[in-house]
Amino acid sequence: MTSEVKTHAIDISSMQRDQRTLKLEDEVHTLKVRDLKLFYGDKEALHGVNMDIAKNRVTAFIGPSGCGKSTLLRCFNRMNDLVDSCRIEGQILLDEANIYDRTVNVADLRRRVGMVFQKPNPFPKSIYENVAYGLRIQGIKKKRVIDETVEWALRSAALWDEVKDRLHESALGMSGGQQQRLVIARTVAVKPEVLLLDEPASALDPISTLKIEELIHELKNDFTIVIVTHNMQQAARVSDYTAFMYMGDLIEFGVTDTLFTNPVQKQTEDYITGRYG
Amino acid sequence: MRITFSEWTKSGSPWIWLNAGAVAISIIMVVGLLALIAVRGLGHFWPADVIQATYQQKGNPHTLIAEVVERDMVPADQLRGAGIEVPPGAIELPRDLLKVGNRDFGSADFVWAMDHLVTDVTRPPMLFVAERTEWGNFYGYLRELREAGNTVARHDGYDKNDAYMALWNEFQSRIDRVLEIRAQILQIEKKEIGSINHEIERLRLKQRSLELKQSTDVAKFEAIDARRAELNAEYEVLQAKLLGLYNEINRDSFIAEIADGRQVEIPMAKIVRAFLPNDMGIGDKLVHYAAKVWEFLSDEPREANTEGGIFPAIFGTVTMVILMSVLVTPFGVVAAVYLREYAKQGFITRLIRIAVNNLAGVPSIVYGVFGLGFFVYFLGGSIDDLFFPEAKPSPTFGTGGLMWASITLALLTVPVVIVATEEGLSRIPRAVREGSLALGATKAETLWKVVLPMASPAMMTGVILAIARAAGEVAPLMLVGVVKLAPSLPIDANYPYLHLDQKFMHLGFHIYDVGFQSPNVEAARPLVYATALLLVIVIALLNFSAIAIRNHLREKYKALEM
Repeated sequence: MTSEVKTHAIDISSMQRDQRTLKLEDEVHTLKVRDLKLFYGDKEALHGVNMDIAKNRVTAFIGPSGCGKSTLLRCFNRMNDLVDSCRIEGQILLDEANIYDRTVNVADLRRRVGMVFQKPNPFPKSIYENVAYGLRIQGIKKKRVIDETVEWALRSAALWDEVKDRLHESALGMSGGQQQRLVIARTVAVKPEVLLLDEPASALDPISTLKIEELIHELKNDFTIVIVTHNMQQAARVSDYTAFMYMGDLIEFGVTDTLFTNPVQKQTEDYITGRYG
Repeated sequence: MRITFSEWTKSGSPWIWLNAGAVAISIIMVVGLLALIAVRGLGHFWPADVIQATYQQKGNPHTLIAEVVERDMVPADQLRGAGIEVPPGAIELPRDLLKVGNRDFGSADFVWAMDHLVTDVTRPPMLFVAERTEWGNFYGYLRELREAGNTVARHDGYDKNDAYMALWNEFQSRIDRVLEIRAQILQIEKKEIGSINHEIERLRLKQRSLELKQSTDVAKFEAIDARRAELNAEYEVLQAKLLGLYNEINRDSFIAEIADGRQVEIPMAKIVRAFLPNDMGIGDKLVHYAAKVWEFLSDEPREANTEGGIFPAIFGTVTMVILMSVLVTPFGVVAAVYLREYAKQGFITRLIRIAVNNLAGVPSIVYGVFGLGFFVYFLGGSIDDLFFPEAKPSPTFGTGGLMWASITLALLTVPVVIVATEEGLSRIPRAVREGSLALGATKAETLWKVVLPMASPAMMTGVILAIARAAGEVAPLMLVGVVKLAPSLPIDANYPYLHLDQKFMHLGFHIYDVGFQSPNVEAARPLVYATALLLVIVIALLNFSAIAIRNHLREKYKALEM
């Protein structure tokens, strides 16, 4: 029998990444997920997930729609608390402390674990006020401090040069890509430890997507990044580690290159070769 | 091309016609209503020509001097039945409503006259109309001016000439003098003596309250007495000044010839303005018209509200509506925020929502009854017992007033604000809330800094609807604080400046009062239209300003496309 030719959906050779060999065991782990189960009412949406998220690395979650990757992401900053019927078992440890502990202040947690959503959601305020929002929430009043942080955050999000002359205009007048980078700047401004990105480029055009990806590359020096994406090329391009999820289970989790070139699980292989719809 | 009926039905044309027809009828009705009240109301201020004519009343001719107010057609049979001779062959005859004025020298100031019996109609240029502070309009020829009983100038004749005009000009300058003195009297009576009275009343209450507390602080009593003596002295001075002014204003009088040839003397002090309508060009008439409209807008009413202006009613309406908005907005918004954002959604919140919606449908008079029973008698009575025992037995808040009227209307309109705000809150995209929460904001911070500002246009919509409903409400107000004639405005220069306990005038009630409670229905009728027009304009202006604020907010927080 002739061996089956693997038709990869991804052109591995085009991936730009450092050639250092990554090993999950050698990393510092910012987030640890332990036996995490999540229920919507009676329905179990996550069936006991275990994973370690490496510090200052980009971890991507891929998988088909409804596999629970966004749900898992939203567990990291307890966004699921907003859903009335949602219940959680297991632990998530942020720097060895369970974020679901009763003593945890959710607002503080969210300050440490920032999140960028699928669609740009700037506030109907000026560009400056959008970025300053998190700082003002923290009670920072000194104009100099806020000015500096806003500039730093906008530079971090590669937006400063585009908006420095119209900081006090409404953020709603910006393009979609700019808005999404503004949201990233806004999140970065509060200096979180972890940055959660929930399909941050899915509503954007290719050029804006590229800019966001470059940005992710830059930001990983300062932040631990977790990104959910539908786009496997994107996962391959930006991430160091990739987790493949399916039907609420973590199927495979490992170094991105390995996962895409030599997956261990059959399901993973089917998915990345495009055999799964 | 012919099409069958069923094809025509299928094409949707009848449906479009039906819809367009409904819209057209609505527009025509609104425009027609506004046009009617505008024409009737605004026409009132135009200086109509005054005719002099002979009226054959039952074969007894006599001269009439009058303004033609209205003309209608009367069926001949009805006239024959009334014993009036009708030319054979006529089916109906015109009948005129004539305003003859001179109520103090004749009987009625309006007469109905058959048009064909009014003959020899002329419009003599020297006929003059005088508006007075009492007895309504005066029509006649000017004959003589008197100063302290002595003749100053006199002219006999009916034609326009220099001598007559000289007399007329002298008359005008003396009217101006009277107006000036009257303004001074008003200033002293209303403002200066008014504020002295106000302070004396406050001193009386202070003393009474000390007595009730059985205070033995002699110094306090002495201070009150001393201050009262001071005020009384001031009052005496003002009173003397007032007496002088009254002597001044009563100095002049004039003699005029009226329709039946009598010469009558009228004190100049009663004149508001005098003019020669038949001698006025279009320019003069326009100036006169503008002056009359301005008087209507800015002056106080005279003669049981049938003359003069309606400024206190405008002021009362606007003050009440603004107070109502100030009360209803925070209350409605807070309630809506709790219902939508904090309360656990379920059976009880659904029940409350239904109750709130139904509250909007309760007849307004029911709110009036509730306001009277609960706010005025119970709350007001308790407030009086607690805080104003010294004023008893006369009530302070235990009677209808501006505050209770505003609160009653706020209660009436709070469902509208709640519903509109809830709708606005539910439309704020979840993504924006999550964006704020994800930055470490608490729910309350998210509400205050992001959600409520974004929902503010919807709140303004609620306020607009509330204003539209409240400004036109009359029935509940009649029970909780509106009066026919308020002695003073609810906001003035006397402490505490905004008098929440005072009764006030209201345009809607004014329409009812002038139209149906007036002793002089014919004179009042045009004012009903004018006041109605003004009420519509005031409500429109209040609404437009609220809409302008809303549009500004909308622009600022324009909804994200999500």
